[in-house]
Amino acid sequence: MSEDPRLVRALVACYPAGWRRRYGDEYAQHLRDLRIHRRPALIIDSLRGAVRAHGGVLMDGNSPMTVLVWAAGLFTVAGIGFAKLAEDFTGARGSYTVLVVASAVALLALIVAAVPSAVALVRRHDAGAWKYLAVPIVGALLWYGVLRVALTISDGHGVHSAPNVAGFLFIAVTGVGVVAATAWAAATVVRRAPGKSTARLRPAASIAVAGGMAVATIAALVWGLRVRSGTPAVFHGEYGILATPFVPSWIAVVVALGAATVLAGLGARRQLTAAS
Amino acid sequence: MSDDLGRWAEPGFLVLASLADGAKHGYAVTADIAEQAGVTLGPGTLYAVLARLEERGLIEGLPAEGRRRPYRLTAAGAAELSAQAKRMQHLAALSLLRLGPASA
Repeated sequence: MSEDPRLVRALVACYPAGWRRRYGDEYAQHLRDLRIHRRPALIIDSLRGAVRAHGGVLMDGNSPMTVLVWAAGLFTVAGIGFAKLAEDFTGARGSYTVLVVASAVALLALIVAAVPSAVALVRRHDAGAWKYLAVPIVGALLWYGVLRVALTISDGHGVHSAPNVAGFLFIAVTGVGVVAATAWAAATVVRRAPGKSTARLRPAASIAVAGGMAVATIAALVWGLRVRSGTPAVFHGEYGILATPFVPSWIAVVVALGAATVLAGLGARRQLTAAS
Repeated sequence: MSDDLGRWAEPGFLVLASLADGAKHGYAVTADIAEQAGVTLGPGTLYAVLARLEERGLIEGLPAEGRRRPYRLTAAGAAELSAQAKRMQHLAALSLLRLGPASA
């Protein structure tokens, strides 16, 4: 325990890979110099530093595309939640259509913003980066497998029965995990192959992403209000996700869409700052 | 500096002040700040500050000596430290003046 190599290695390993490449060796020595194993408060400080370093990667002003990618991940999860909430309603179709169109605009704009990275990836022949493209494919296959298992488990059981709730949570948690893993893989590829954008392409595309998400958020809000005025029994009933009360499900979806919009707005602002 | 470094402003100032009399590696910076200012900078805090200061060109890493890498002030870092110290000096003088003789 005098040299505590495992503790030092573990603490250094908590930091992002890029950070470790730059500071890892000297930081490990610094931890040894501090005799970190005898100082719990410094261990906590190191862990907090690692969390901040990961946050820095996510919110790094030099990588606004990374912020956009994570915003898109959150927006996707919220959008799936909205689709689940709205699947049984035929009212408020106008708001629903606006939401779908705005989401499509945001997605297309994100693809446009990612084009320089895709071109750079093809040109650089970076074999290490290509493996990340397998993440969404493997993730989708995994999620489909989980879906089949969950459907088998919940088959014939009531909506609020333990097998059905467990199956739903199994599907939802796996789905969120797959989306998060896909966003992480995309963010990693974008960092490895940032690409050279024209002065206006990425800023314009980023604004379109944030704008599309903002319109979709407003449409989801309006959709719920129209459900309230058109079918109050539904609005005040248990027509939310998994037959829970409608209002909390609706609010959760709108808040998640709004959070994704704010994140995308931050990314767009940083993209504009980087371009100016 | 406070605008650029946000919550790292105070630790950033301490690190710049520590490096003002010559290059130091991480542990020497920590020990110097603890001795001179009575503040213990944890390793996570120190390296967050070093990374931020280096990113802004206020300090630079020198070639590693074994596993330890010394850092030193850049010209921009010295100018930033000087400006910040003058501002603090002005604020300290103003505070003492307004408090009057009772503070002496």
